[in-house]
Amino acid sequence: MSLEPLTLTDILIATVPLMLIFATLFAFTTWLERKALARIQNRIGPNKVGIPCTRIGLFGLGQPAADGIKMIFKEDIVPRGADRLFHLLAPILALIPAMLVLCFLPLNFPWIKNIQGLVKPFMLDGAVIFFFAITGLNTLAVFMAGWASRNKYSLLGGIRAVAQMVSYEIPLVLSAVIVVMMVGSLNAAEIVKEQADEYWFILSPWGFTAFVIFFIAALAETNRSPFDLPEAESEIIAGYFTEYSGFKFALFFLGEYIAMFAISGLAVTLFLGGGDGPGVTMNPEDQGLATEAFPGLSAVWFLAKIFALIAVMIWLRGTLPRLRVDQLMGFAWKFMLPLSILNILVAGFAWHAEQLDNTIITVITWVISFAVLYGAASGLNQLNRGKVRPREYKYAE
Amino acid sequence: MNEVVAFWILSVIAVFGALVAVRKRNLIHGVFALLVFFAGLSGLFLLLLAEFIAAVQVLVYIGAVGILLLFAIMLTERVTGDDDRRVTSRGWFWGLVVTAAVFVVLLLPAIQQLPPPKAAQTIDPSVKELGHKLMNPYVVTLEVLALLLTAALIGAVTAAQGVRMPKEEDSPE
Repeated sequence: MSLEPLTLTDILIATVPLMLIFATLFAFTTWLERKALARIQNRIGPNKVGIPCTRIGLFGLGQPAADGIKMIFKEDIVPRGADRLFHLLAPILALIPAMLVLCFLPLNFPWIKNIQGLVKPFMLDGAVIFFFAITGLNTLAVFMAGWASRNKYSLLGGIRAVAQMVSYEIPLVLSAVIVVMMVGSLNAAEIVKEQADEYWFILSPWGFTAFVIFFIAALAETNRSPFDLPEAESEIIAGYFTEYSGFKFALFFLGEYIAMFAISGLAVTLFLGGGDGPGVTMNPEDQGLATEAFPGLSAVWFLAKIFALIAVMIWLRGTLPRLRVDQLMGFAWKFMLPLSILNILVAGFAWHAEQLDNTIITVITWVISFAVLYGAASGLNQLNRGKVRPREYKYAE
Repeated sequence: MNEVVAFWILSVIAVFGALVAVRKRNLIHGVFALLVFFAGLSGLFLLLLAEFIAAVQVLVYIGAVGILLLFAIMLTERVTGDDDRRVTSRGWFWGLVVTAAVFVVLLLPAIQQLPPPKAAQTIDPSVKELGHKLMNPYVVTLEVLALLLTAALIGAVTAAQGVRMPKEEDSPE
């Protein structure tokens, strides 16, 4: 592999639109989430802010801009005992990894295709492993924020976040391993091409199991409800960002949503066929490039799939109550981990069966693997059910 | 040209991180400085086109070792992390000598063939190649390492379970 020298312009063309697009999508998603949650709770949601100085409401679409202006002009308060440097660095560190991993997603933007040399750095051989490595840095930012605030609730939130993220990273990575095994490559573009040639991995029994595990672990990894224990407002105020206000808080908020986009993007890449869809055909020789009905169609498909996943996340947030800490840990270690290890074994056998290239054997393998996985999931459920005890109150009653 | 600039930037970051990690009395600051050093090192690996090693550097050292260090500090009593004094020791001169000696010994093979030879062929380190190597000639080593790590994991769990913490109700308060 050799990298052709890129000029500064090429790099800017590749990175700046990525940041702008996802920042805009962030603004839209906050509006969408508030609207959807409001409808779930039988409210209307933001509907006032539209075009300034007029009565035109535009369904409250101006709300993100108003929020942004408010955030910028709010006072930035640093607690007296806080570690000022780390208090400043933590929100920045929360945003950088989330932004950085966006470039590993195989998004076929039309302007990237015009520059051949530019495709190379994005099509890293180890894109998937890089993705997990850099997403893991988010944990440090959360811990840093909790520690630097010099507030016991912040610290509790930080410690909770670290424990939760470390636990859920294991099923997250193990379920991605299955896709890597089936494709035989860590390259995101090759994974997408394989799915365009064969089938989307979510359609196979092991792929579906892996996708469900991946999605649940992704919820926990991005601190989304029902796994939002690090910021549980009924217990520890706001968790690790209790002491943050103004623009620093906005940075945390932005980082959280960008991380949501990024991890949904990885789920789309691994299980939902990436930019594949009607009107798009993947070229066999140029990896990562596709022939489209019109330029940018593949990127549109990709973003649409991301938004479908985001919509599910919002829906879950509106419907599910928050987990308890022991339930959270038990779920990761006693249910998701054994199931994902078993899933790897099943996928290994299925891969060998597919190599035989015999339709009957493939069908039998699919049926057997579905039965095994379903049995394992319900068995684990039964095993764990008896062990969940009602909560013992130590300081209340 | 670009590579040279990138190399110097990353080197300065790495050396700065390492120095701060050693000099800071505040343990949490020290750990984060160490992580900066690891990140700089990972960037240097990336510059050598060893992208898998770079990713593993981030994944293992920053992701796992860093978190482990932070947990160890949090769980240790009487380490509050606010001590801002600098570390000074009387033996710094001999320490410097030993450091220099170790540095020279490590560089000895390179020094012996001093005008550095031109690279005979371009190295092409790819993830695929690495995977084949791990699965074919080094598979026994890999398995033994995996066994060792599993044993360590089970041992750690056993050790952690062996110590029963006294219950809160039993304490004299």
